[in-house]
Amino acid sequence: MSSSKIDILNVVASKLGSKVQIQPGQLGAGSIIVNNGLHRDVLKAMIDADEKTGITAITGLDLGENLGVYYHVHTSGAFVTIKTEVPKSNPKIQTIVDVHPGAAFHELEVSDLMGVIFEGNQPTGHLVLSEYWPSGVYPLRKDVDASQIKMLPPQEVNKPAEDPRQVKIIIGPQHPALLEPEKFSVTVDGETVTKVEPRIGYVHRGIEKATESRSYLQDVYLVERICGICNSIHAGAFVEAVEKIIKVDIPPRAKYLRVVALELNRLHSHLLTLGHAGLEIGYETLFQYFWRDREPIMDLIELTSGNRVYSSLMTIGGVRRDIRTEDIPKIKSVLETLRGQLPFYRKIYNDEPTLRLRMKDVGVLSRKDALDLSVVGPVARGSGVDIDVRKDEPYEAYADIPFKEIVYKDGDTWARMNVRMDEVEESINIIEYVVDHLPTGPIKINLPRSVPAGEAVNRVEAPRGELFYYVRANGTDKPERVKVRTPTFANLPSFLKTAIGESIADVPANFVSLDPCFSCTDR
Amino acid sequence: MERKIEARIQNRVGPMVAGPAGILQPLADLIKLLTKEDVEPREAKKLIFRYAPLAAFTIMVFAFCFIPIDGGSVLSFGSTVGGFNGDLLIILAFATVANFLLFLAGWASCNPYGTIGSARVLTQFLGYDIPLFLLALTPAFFVGSLQIAEIAKAQATQFWPFIFLAPWAFVMFVITMQAELEKDPFDVPHSESELVGGLETEFTGAKLAFLHLTRDVQIVFGSALVVELFLGGPYGPVFFGPSWIWYTLWFVLKVLGVVLISEYITTVVARFRIDQVLSGNWRILLPAALLSLILTVVLVTWVYPLVM
Amino acid sequence: MAKKSRISPIFKRAASHLFTKPATEKYPFVKPHIPDDARCKTVYEIKSCNIIDIGSGFRDDLSIDVRSIVGTSCSVCVRDCPTGAIEIVEVEGRKRPQINLNKCIFCHQCVESCPRGAIKSSTFYELATTDKDCLIMKPNPKGKEEKS
Repeated sequence: MSSSKIDILNVVASKLGSKVQIQPGQLGAGSIIVNNGLHRDVLKAMIDADEKTGITAITGLDLGENLGVYYHVHTSGAFVTIKTEVPKSNPKIQTIVDVHPGAAFHELEVSDLMGVIFEGNQPTGHLVLSEYWPSGVYPLRKDVDASQIKMLPPQEVNKPAEDPRQVKIIIGPQHPALLEPEKFSVTVDGETVTKVEPRIGYVHRGIEKATESRSYLQDVYLVERICGICNSIHAGAFVEAVEKIIKVDIPPRAKYLRVVALELNRLHSHLLTLGHAGLEIGYETLFQYFWRDREPIMDLIELTSGNRVYSSLMTIGGVRRDIRTEDIPKIKSVLETLRGQLPFYRKIYNDEPTLRLRMKDVGVLSRKDALDLSVVGPVARGSGVDIDVRKDEPYEAYADIPFKEIVYKDGDTWARMNVRMDEVEESINIIEYVVDHLPTGPIKINLPRSVPAGEAVNRVEAPRGELFYYVRANGTDKPERVKVRTPTFANLPSFLKTAIGESIADVPANFVSLDPCFSCTDR
Repeated sequence: MERKIEARIQNRVGPMVAGPAGILQPLADLIKLLTKEDVEPREAKKLIFRYAPLAAFTIMVFAFCFIPIDGGSVLSFGSTVGGFNGDLLIILAFATVANFLLFLAGWASCNPYGTIGSARVLTQFLGYDIPLFLLALTPAFFVGSLQIAEIAKAQATQFWPFIFLAPWAFVMFVITMQAELEKDPFDVPHSESELVGGLETEFTGAKLAFLHLTRDVQIVFGSALVVELFLGGPYGPVFFGPSWIWYTLWFVLKVLGVVLISEYITTVVARFRIDQVLSGNWRILLPAALLSLILTVVLVTWVYPLVM
Repeated sequence: MAKKSRISPIFKRAASHLFTKPATEKYPFVKPHIPDDARCKTVYEIKSCNIIDIGSGFRDDLSIDVRSIVGTSCSVCVRDCPTGAIEIVEVEGRKRPQINLNKCIFCHQCVESCPRGAIKSSTFYELATTDKDCLIMKPNPKGKEEKS
């Protein structure tokens, strides 16, 4: 729970006064417009005032002559945006990695895709783009020319470890430990890991760019397919952002139905992860049991939305389908069955000796590291950091629904898995509350296809953490820019930290406790 | 059987189609593997890479031939009680050699996953061989002979089956056998999520078929050894007809029973990390095996003659 | 240690599973039960956009409903389809939509967008075929749809 909401805008205004221009109510609780170079001071002031300050995302925008660099900062009180611009001819800006280490990945991505050079955080290679990508071609700019993209000739990309006594093991891109392809070059000394170098971007499908050439209605389905597991939440976040630009409020019944879809999504995602964790530590039986209990949830999703995976319930202005009253008893009975299974799993987590051996004290992330690296979701809540967007900035109907925020202090794999298990129970509670209290009314309002010019940010709590959307509209029926910051992208740097010093045999267990979803990460 | 048991414990059906109730699935997999293309990495050491799986398989089968069913085994040298004195140690030695050949096979594949996998195989089975030998000596001490057939027969005639007389040894032997056979919780060398295929990574086609066959023979071999040493071998009540039918039947049933127990343990627990496997061996199992041996000697020499 | 008295429940549960019925649905021998309005098991019956669609064509479960209503196709479905699976083709002087199931993601936005309610969903889901052309639902003159 957020204990004290510090009014961060006032803090910034008092410290920096006339050097910044504050627009309250814009892009979150407010926007702070600064000239190049002052963003570091603003951020430092915020971090000094509130320890829970962290970077949610860094958006790169193509504004014609300039490139906009927006820093989206979350604090315990408010969510603000620092806006600054750099000219395209000289896109240099100072890094903030020394002020806040968690910004490293975000800066690298912006420099790969938009071409902004962050002084002090120069990448040694690409983070998101392929090693064979030609330099100077930045895909997200509006004036990029597809004919300029000529891949470089093949070259040796895997270099051996610097220290000849150490061995570099490459985990991925294809590896049974990973659900989806990413490459981690792990340097080991004997059995202990000394360094992890990630190379993500294998599943990059250019969805952010693709949204710019499709209408908003088509984009709802496109962003849904960023991730197969947390699909509803992507769609929900996007439509909410668009509704914020249009400045319209959707009917209450639609809000409650959206919560049902989102929580069902969370249920099946957590059960998937809990099972997958079992698989990583060699506990196939646990995996099969969890997935067997996940099947009725998939059937429920099919009942409410028509499809087991991509529920596509969201649309701009409400939801597409209603829940029939005669379905509600079935929903409740399935949830009751699942709730009855939970004590068995809790006992296994507490008592099973082999599981405890593999999961306890593995991948420990201290609270300070969690705050520095801006981790989100169950990873943060397993390390004692209580951030949950549903509580901090309630959206949809979450303000009306009573539920607990689950926090564990241990910071190891075991704690994170327990967080997810308890969240399963909370989700069951939420869905039961919602179907009992469904307000009557329409489920959708009709909105025009074109969206007036404006921009909005939106944060939701995906199963893996805080999901962030920034949408910029320009008055047509196609968006100008959609920026997605997925939770796994924010959590990956923590893996780089927790894997060091541990045995390589712990890497799979450690890794899966992050709940990595690379489709989300790479978009 | 193994796969069906695992599936049923996990509340699913397992292989269904090959053979009655899917029992012949491993055979179907074998035939499929034999028809696949054989790919060899350029840098593998050809001789070992090609022939080690076959050699390992041959040695395992050879070792298995020594296990007596109904007093006589395939290689019983014409005596009524088959085998020769000391064949317990011989077949354990053969099993070790076969394992070593598997290690060499993985090492020869020159693949980082293969080398790490086979290194783990080596450390694991060499380490666990010592308690295995020690615990296998327990029944030998009771009978006073190192001949498997004698040990088995003794359980039917002179003593109760050793599972009752030395239950601690039985439990530890089963656990050690799990480690030798590389099954959960000790199946680090096969851990897919860590090492892709472990030592099997580079093997394809017929070579992989033989590796799998070797593993399967090892499982049967291990279970048969447990049966012979602790469960009274093939001896059991004979109801009618020629005794060898019944003895064979009892033997098969007992082996299946051991497979059931072994598979149950496999399915129910997670996998240990390699350092936990090794520390478990040297710190816990080996001293326990030594203690068990001492206890056995004490019991045999002083206690049981008084009791019996 | 107090831990000794807490034995993991999985031992009992695992053993009991040896004797209980497995949870697997034995598809394809046993067909699962599916809700009636499950979207996305679909193929379309386009009625009043001047096209009649059989709906399946692989199996003859669904009957053909022939109607001919005069009207123009307004292309809203084309505009709203996220993948561009619907195209307008010209058949005998009339413009009709043609749905390419290869591209369709079964989102049913077209079902919602059509102002005449001409596109409907069905519950047919076994759409696997070895012939790609089979999956393009072509309009047929005279209002009768044909699957090639």
